[in-house]
Amino acid sequence: MHFPKFEYQRPTSVEEAVQMLKEYGSRAHLVAGGTDLYPRMKYNLVRPEVVISLKGVPVKPPAIEGGGLHVDALMTLVDVARSQVILERIPLLAEAALNVGSNQIRHMGTLGGNLCLENRCTYYNQSHTFQYVEPCFKRDGDRCYLIPKGKKCQAVFMADTVPALICMDAKVEIQSETKSRQLPVEGLYTGDPLSPLALSEGEIVSGVIIPNSASIHGSGFIKFSLRGGMEFGAVTVAVLLHAADDGRTCDSARIVVGSVAARPVRTLKAETTLAGQELSDKLLREVAKKVATEIRPVMHHGYSAPFLRECLEVHAFRTLTLATKNIRRD
Amino acid sequence: MKRLIELSINGERHELAVEPQTTLIEVLREQLGLTGTKEACGTGECGSCTVLIDGKPILSCLTLAMDCCEQHIVTIEGIAEGDQLTSVQQAFLDCGAIQCGFCTPGMVLSITALLERNSRPSETDIKKALEGHLCRCTGYNKIMEAVKKAAEHMAAKDS
Repeated sequence: MHFPKFEYQRPTSVEEAVQMLKEYGSRAHLVAGGTDLYPRMKYNLVRPEVVISLKGVPVKPPAIEGGGLHVDALMTLVDVARSQVILERIPLLAEAALNVGSNQIRHMGTLGGNLCLENRCTYYNQSHTFQYVEPCFKRDGDRCYLIPKGKKCQAVFMADTVPALICMDAKVEIQSETKSRQLPVEGLYTGDPLSPLALSEGEIVSGVIIPNSASIHGSGFIKFSLRGGMEFGAVTVAVLLHAADDGRTCDSARIVVGSVAARPVRTLKAETTLAGQELSDKLLREVAKKVATEIRPVMHHGYSAPFLRECLEVHAFRTLTLATKNIRRD
Repeated sequence: MKRLIELSINGERHELAVEPQTTLIEVLREQLGLTGTKEACGTGECGSCTVLIDGKPILSCLTLAMDCCEQHIVTIEGIAEGDQLTSVQQAFLDCGAIQCGFCTPGMVLSITALLERNSRPSETDIKKALEGHLCRCTGYNKIMEAVKKAAEHMAAKDS
């Protein structure tokens, strides 16, 4: 499958990249690994005149600075999954990175690229060359094929590293030509499937900053899909539990779910149920039920909403159990 | 507008005229006649276009030729030494892990990279390494056997 024609630029620094972004404006698209943008370009879903390849920008190794860990957005997912410092300090992120795509995709795709992953839908993400139907909402049309009488787009958020980052209270660092800003990772997601990222023209995601965790904590990550590999999730659950000194009582919790809505979802009511409680099997089952009722999953990729709801309960319970088992003192 | 680039492929340097949108797989197959690397899906899901770039398994259908200038590319044609097949290639033959052979070059290269890094892979390690490779013929069992056999053979050679 051939690409349409485009121009190519290869900056050697983030500063040069944002200058080029400013110069080319909406005619250009940044690309790091290419595992998300390039398939969409081959399907003619996005048509940049200029591709700004970030493969010439040096990648900074993870750095501990000011009470937190700074991870470069250009780090490949396989390097995130294998990084000693990430495995020691934030195993949840390494686990999430290991679940993305395939081995080859993890060698090419970057953390920043995963954060900026476009929302997905089985109708949208395919070739439309031989279809003689009106385009859907996400292709600038006026209808949805997933839900025929639907009045809005239902494309779903699918990035696996993001639920893990939100659990860790991570911040994302965004740079433009004139300034640098930081915001909580969840603030990057608009919830609008047509424009899922809260990024302005000329901005680049340059890194994430993960604050140090409380000393006694456990985390778990489960991505459920039919094949179990090289697949986007049906439901993806990330859990972080902060425990008291006894290692059995929960101080606070974070439960973040991906793949079921237009953005990652934190289940605040379920999290509150855990606070101050002993982490018994019975409690975890109760919390898992709450997760499944607190979220209204959007049907996607052939999975019905009721089925996704059942999956949520099962996998929330399994992830909570995993996180409880993983509680350790740092 | 074509640009002249130099790529290192299987240890040889090639001067090539490419456009920005020319993929690495187009260069390999159409300009260099190295048709061992296959293209099926063109969108990174099947793994048949896998090559090794600086030792890492990479999808050549999603790689621009112009992004590969300072890198060492190895294709399936580049791993055997003359007529001497590698342990991985031999194991695939011995275990009957090849039917139509279309997925094989990509699989062999991913496994070559795996065993280079980890000479005693667990079942999970092998599955993770082959996660991005689809095979429509074999049902994967014989491929798993071949990988284990290749790992054993390489471990025996090293000891």
